[in-house]
Amino acid sequence: MSSIKIKSKNLNVYYGNKQALYDVNLDLNEKEVTALIGPSGCGKSTFIRCINRMNDVIDICKVTGNIEMDGVEINDKNLDVVSLRERVGMVFQKPNPFPKSIYDNISYGPKIHGKGETKSELDQIVENSLKKSALWEEVKDRLDEPGTSLSGGQQQRLCIARAISVNPEVILMDEPCSALDPIATAKIEELIDELKKTYTIVIVTHSMAQAVRVSQKTGFFHLGKLIEVGKTEKIFKNPDNKMTQDYITGRFG
Amino acid sequence: MTKEERLKKRHRAEKRFRFYGLTSIFVALLFVVILVQNIFSKGSSAFKKTVITTEVFFDQELLEIQNGSSKEEIMEADFYDIMIENLIKAYPAKDRDEEDELLKLFSGDAEIEIKKAFLNDNSLIGKTITLDLTASDDIDQLHKGNYPRDLPEERRRISDFQLVIYDYFVENKKISKNFNNYFFNNGDSRDPELAGIGGALVGSFYSILICLLLAFPVAVLASIYLEEFAPKNKITDFIEININNLAAVPSIVYGLLALQILLATIQLPRSTPLVAGITLALMTLPRIIIPCRASLKAVPPSIREGALAVGASKFQSVFHHVVPLALPGTLSGTIIGLAQALGETAPLILIGMVAFVVDIPTSPVDPSSSLPVQVYLWSESAERGFVEKTSATIMMLLSFLIVMNFIAVYLRQKFEKRWN
Repeated sequence: MSSIKIKSKNLNVYYGNKQALYDVNLDLNEKEVTALIGPSGCGKSTFIRCINRMNDVIDICKVTGNIEMDGVEINDKNLDVVSLRERVGMVFQKPNPFPKSIYDNISYGPKIHGKGETKSELDQIVENSLKKSALWEEVKDRLDEPGTSLSGGQQQRLCIARAISVNPEVILMDEPCSALDPIATAKIEELIDELKKTYTIVIVTHSMAQAVRVSQKTGFFHLGKLIEVGKTEKIFKNPDNKMTQDYITGRFG
Repeated sequence: MTKEERLKKRHRAEKRFRFYGLTSIFVALLFVVILVQNIFSKGSSAFKKTVITTEVFFDQELLEIQNGSSKEEIMEADFYDIMIENLIKAYPAKDRDEEDELLKLFSGDAEIEIKKAFLNDNSLIGKTITLDLTASDDIDQLHKGNYPRDLPEERRRISDFQLVIYDYFVENKKISKNFNNYFFNNGDSRDPELAGIGGALVGSFYSILICLLLAFPVAVLASIYLEEFAPKNKITDFIEININNLAAVPSIVYGLLALQILLATIQLPRSTPLVAGITLALMTLPRIIIPCRASLKAVPPSIREGALAVGASKFQSVFHHVVPLALPGTLSGTIIGLAQALGETAPLILIGMVAFVVDIPTSPVDPSSSLPVQVYLWSESAERGFVEKTSATIMMLLSFLIVMNFIAVYLRQKFEKRWN
């Protein structure tokens, strides 16, 4: 059993008057993939956006309760979100490379965090990040081309490379394959398998098959509540909760 | 109604709409053509001036200077007498009246033109040279075919004697049309043949420059703050509504404001590009903020999130990613705002830019005119020569506006990044 990286206790999130998460208690293990499943609007994305405090961007969003990483409270006003996000990277649903060159897309993060002082150090970081995201072979000869000129799947891997360029500890993935075709999806899934050796990964997905393929632990959300959490095998083969059973067999959602 | 009938009706409606659309475009184009044609036909002649080729003999007795005289001596010398002497020699006049009429064939600046020729080459004493002297407004208009010569003499500004001389000029090819350098180099003048837009051009340039320097940074920073940093609450809503309202305030109101605050209270020098620039900046500010905010808003939120997610601070995500993407839209909005300011007349009239200014301003605190105000001033003048000057000034103004709008479109198309 690996150690716990992130631990949430009675986490509640409100958007204005609407409550989006109810008392979520969820532990994420280090160097493991945790999949979050559930119908649309159930709070999966809201939960992972608490981990890197992306909810701060939304004015009306209010978070109560605790969420800790390595025992340090994340939901703390005095915490520096910039250094938090350096440790917790994120990949979004739709690939969102910057409209800059492939090189600049990846070197941006290290630059603002003061990693890679010299050009050769930066080159090394870019190369390593692209290699880790299995994109290096495809783009090594055209690093000056705009990131937006890549295909959808390549763009998403570019975004993954951008996330790992600052050498985070945790990577959050918010439905990273929902805009991709099956081949591109397969590549991303292979990549996730590889990345979990180094990083703690949380992936939100609508595909049960994907959750089964990539994750070791699965949490099922419904209407803002964490209904059930456990080893992926157990959740999909023998869930305790009737609702989980119904969802994974496609009876609702 | 059967299915076929309904289908036919739908097709008819579509055809009808197409016809309406084409008609409106045609009508709009027709108006543009009429306007441009009218301005061109009236204004294009202003770019030429009529000159009379005249032989000038530099008589030492009359000039009382020698070859090699210093510049000061030449400036003080009287060239008027040698002009009369030379003219009478060429075209004998019966009496003083005819002498006067002879002189009135030429512009009031003909004497200065002779002096300039002498300044260029001060060894001309005792020699005769041929000069192209600018004709008076009446002869200019007559030569351009704008003056009716078949009226009885007492209703003409040109006497019979002058007509005889004019016909002699034409017969002997002593009269011709040259490029009108005065139109571009001179300031305003009571004499149409000497009046130019030089002062108005410089005045407009200084005004727009000051307007740009004041309005652009303020508008861009205000837009960035409101769009990216300000909390969305009642105060920012109120500010937003008021910015939109200010953009719709008639420009003359800004003129009144400037009159009270800038001229009456702060006592800035009136009729100057400085005051004009500040007034135009006030007017242009909301008109730049609106397109600037729109282009910031058009940057997809995913770009901001992408930057924040790798650990950029709010400031970094805005200035490294959002602002560069919004820049083309911002710049083109600014240029269009400035183009509007360039054509603005009403507020400038209120701050005294309608003053008659002959000198070309050398700094933004010199009294000056501006292009649209010059159009307004000349359109009110009685002399025939100002009609073509008015239209020619409109042509200049329109060409600046077209160039500015073209730059705006170019910037937007060339530098706007596409994202999927």
